[in-house]
Amino acid sequence: MNKTNKGYPGLIDISPGFFIATCLEKPAVTMKTVIKSICYSAICSLLLGVCHLPAGYAATFTDVTDPLGRPVRVPADPRRVIALAPNITEIIFALKQEDRLKGVTQFSDYPAEARNFPKVGSYVQLDLERIVALKPDLCIAIKDGNPRTVVQRLETMGIPVYAVDPRNLDSVMATVLAIGSVLRAETAARDLVQAMQKRIARVQAAVSRAAGRPKVFFQIGISPIVSVGTDTFIHELIEKAGGTNLAAGDTPYPRFSREQVLGLSPEVIIITSMTRAAVFERVKEEWSRWPDMPAVRNRQIFIADSNLFDRPSPRLVEALEVLTTLIHPEFKKENPSP
Amino acid sequence: MNPPVILKRLVVVTCVMFLLLLAAMLLGLSTGSTGSSLTATLQAIWGNQETDPTLAAIIWRIRLPRVLLAALVGATLSVGGLVFQALLRNPLAEPYILGISGGSAIGAIIGILLGFSPFPGVALLAFSGSMATLLLILLMVSGQTILKRESLLLSGVMVNAFCAAVIMFLVSLTQDSRLHNIIFWLMGDLSMADLRQVAILGATLLPGLILIFWFAHPMNLLLAGKETAQSMGVHVKLVTVTLLIATSFMVSASVSRSGLLGFVGLVMPHLLRLLLGPDHRVLVPACILGGGAYMVLCDLLARALPQQGEMPAGVITAMIGAPLFIFLMKTSKR
Amino acid sequence: MTTAIDINEIGHAYGGPDVLQDISFSIDIGEFFIVIGPNGSGKTTLLKILAGILKPQQGRLTLFDRPLASYPRKELARKVAYVPQLTALDFPFTVTEIVLMGRSPHLGILGWEQADDLEIAKRAITFTETEHLAHRRLNELSGGERQRAFIARAICQEPKIILLDEPTASLDLAHQIKVMDLMEKLRTEKNITIVMVSHDVNLAAMYAQRLLLLNRGRLVTLGPPRDVLDYAVLEEIYGCTLLVDESPIGRFPRITLVPKKFQVPGAGK
Repeated sequence: MNKTNKGYPGLIDISPGFFIATCLEKPAVTMKTVIKSICYSAICSLLLGVCHLPAGYAATFTDVTDPLGRPVRVPADPRRVIALAPNITEIIFALKQEDRLKGVTQFSDYPAEARNFPKVGSYVQLDLERIVALKPDLCIAIKDGNPRTVVQRLETMGIPVYAVDPRNLDSVMATVLAIGSVLRAETAARDLVQAMQKRIARVQAAVSRAAGRPKVFFQIGISPIVSVGTDTFIHELIEKAGGTNLAAGDTPYPRFSREQVLGLSPEVIIITSMTRAAVFERVKEEWSRWPDMPAVRNRQIFIADSNLFDRPSPRLVEALEVLTTLIHPEFKKENPSP
Repeated sequence: MNPPVILKRLVVVTCVMFLLLLAAMLLGLSTGSTGSSLTATLQAIWGNQETDPTLAAIIWRIRLPRVLLAALVGATLSVGGLVFQALLRNPLAEPYILGISGGSAIGAIIGILLGFSPFPGVALLAFSGSMATLLLILLMVSGQTILKRESLLLSGVMVNAFCAAVIMFLVSLTQDSRLHNIIFWLMGDLSMADLRQVAILGATLLPGLILIFWFAHPMNLLLAGKETAQSMGVHVKLVTVTLLIATSFMVSASVSRSGLLGFVGLVMPHLLRLLLGPDHRVLVPACILGGGAYMVLCDLLARALPQQGEMPAGVITAMIGAPLFIFLMKTSKR
Repeated sequence: MTTAIDINEIGHAYGGPDVLQDISFSIDIGEFFIVIGPNGSGKTTLLKILAGILKPQQGRLTLFDRPLASYPRKELARKVAYVPQLTALDFPFTVTEIVLMGRSPHLGILGWEQADDLEIAKRAITFTETEHLAHRRLNELSGGERQRAFIARAICQEPKIILLDEPTASLDLAHQIKVMDLMEKLRTEKNITIVMVSHDVNLAAMYAQRLLLLNRGRLVTLGPPRDVLDYAVLEEIYGCTLLVDESPIGRFPRITLVPKKFQVPGAGK
């Protein structure tokens, strides 16, 4: 490890302060003098205090621009990467680069092996100390959720942060390519993206043959009832899956009263939240009290696995496929899911 | 010339409190999510060559600013509570009483909703908010001269209550991750302290602390009654207004950085008064140093106690402060 | 210079009807001067104006041949001490600490006392016979003891004039006499001018050299107790029946209130 500078203040740096203090004050050591000299030395050590982490393992660096347009100096061969969000962890595993990974965030649960990695807090409340303690040579952050201040602190401490913005299908694929380029896995990235695009194309082909565009109410919150607006990836999935999102609009996560939902007459209701099956039965039963609603009449109320729908990762394609079979039940008989 | 009589007691109390503060800061520097032993911390401070530079970086870059911020905030809130208790002659007064909590919270929430970063955006808005409510209260009170204390208190309580309603309204509107930031701010949060910001805050607060120490004796006299104080040569109006504005300014500056840390300003003056007596010439430095030490300890508990992540420091100050306050009220009744 | 305070055409109003109107008199150095009158006659307002706490809306006040307004605050505090009516104190100061507060006009803003300030405080405590209370906290004391502590503080200020607002109200008989004797002692031993507001006319008659009778903000009479305590005037002002005769213990008047059951209808003295 390079240690070009000692990098941190010790008492050796503080002693000039004491020297200054005793020079300026009268020789008598009274409490006032002691207090004053401590103040001087604190000021001195703050002025002298530079704290750069010694350079990491990497010997060579490349200057790149991350998908957010920031110039970042990344190591040519990152060996100690920390993923600052669960979907980044998923992408790294999907690219089979988990050997480079040294730390993940708290809810990184897919794939299952990710759970064994050291945790650095949750993606909205990153633990700076734990990140630094893992001596990373590269951190990969996401725009939506990671606190800006943490990213800034990491960078001032000499740790490069590569930021991505996976928001929907297209940007997830772009993120896969970007991370692939940084982790020297370009081929795997291209293959993964091509596979994703093939599956999306299959879905779109099937949808184009569908009879109509059912009205879908996608419920992500139970109490209060919350759905998804236009500016969300779930909306994009619904539209691509051949449905009409009833909650489309400017508000990303609009709230509905039960009356409003009834007024919309949804033909399909899909419920997803991090709750258990028992809760789903109760919610389904509550909707069933309104038999005039098309979704109730035709028994089109479903639960979807929230793990697929709560994070913009490569599994969004699977989410798309699941959504398609839910919205167009006739496809189930035609095309068993891959 | 003989030294003033009180100097001996003042020096003893100041030294003891200062040592307590240093000890608390040392403990604070050795606590964190990566943990470290006291000896390792001492080695890092001493400048030992064998110290792991990563640990050193953690101690100096991550923990030190936080510990310093905790000390500053604790000092300001404690001394702020002391001053308001003296000015309003009410032992239940605390530093947020004149609308500071309501106004700064609304400012901060607006800042968070608009997407500003904690410093300087949210902090400046929080500060402006509390200054605005203070102005509002002063305007509400300016018409009346009789019962001035009661009208100040009453106006403060009403403004805070109104602001609480506005805050609940704003919170109910927020649904995304900003809600998390808002809740943390409301509970008081010392994480993400930065050495430069702490230095700026310290420079802002220091003149106020010195001013309050300067006015400690008039505060004693004010407690005997406004007219009595005036008859003993105190310029009551000047002292009251100066202390009010300076303290509100200091508390607002501190709150705008750290959020609403509760109970410190209420409990510390009582605790120290119980131990040291009601003389403000001794209480002011005791509150500054003792309050700082208390906040550093609360913050380190906020980091050490939870298994994963950390609690907001405000949770600890409330959990310790409330029972401590009840205990103090009971013992002081004797 | 024999005049301590000179008052000329003082008038004051609290934003409504006049509380004081056209009051003029003067007080001599070393005099025991007591202001009496019914409730609402403006006694406390007059005292506060004398203390410099309240600024009168009309009139001029002179203290030792200098206008009162020309005195800087601290210098005024070194000349005039003010003992208000008993107040509740929420904070647990000891008697010594309260008495030491009286040294403030002689200290800088930091208020750090020297050894001789402690001496003066000790002497004030001895003078008021409160040594046994020196380390007790104010909220533990009885009314009389607290009043003596405040008087000790006033003495500690080393003033030339002491103003007291109803110092014997809510004190028991023994303490009433004690306080008045203390004032007399201060007057005779240290030549301090005593100006007091009192509701107890008999007590006032026993000690005062001159009485000032106020009614509804106007000066009614001023002079030695014998001249001021005229039964006709008093009956009219206080609105009750009373008897005025000479006290058996000295050459000063004594007021006796006459309850209804002892009144003879239509008879006067």
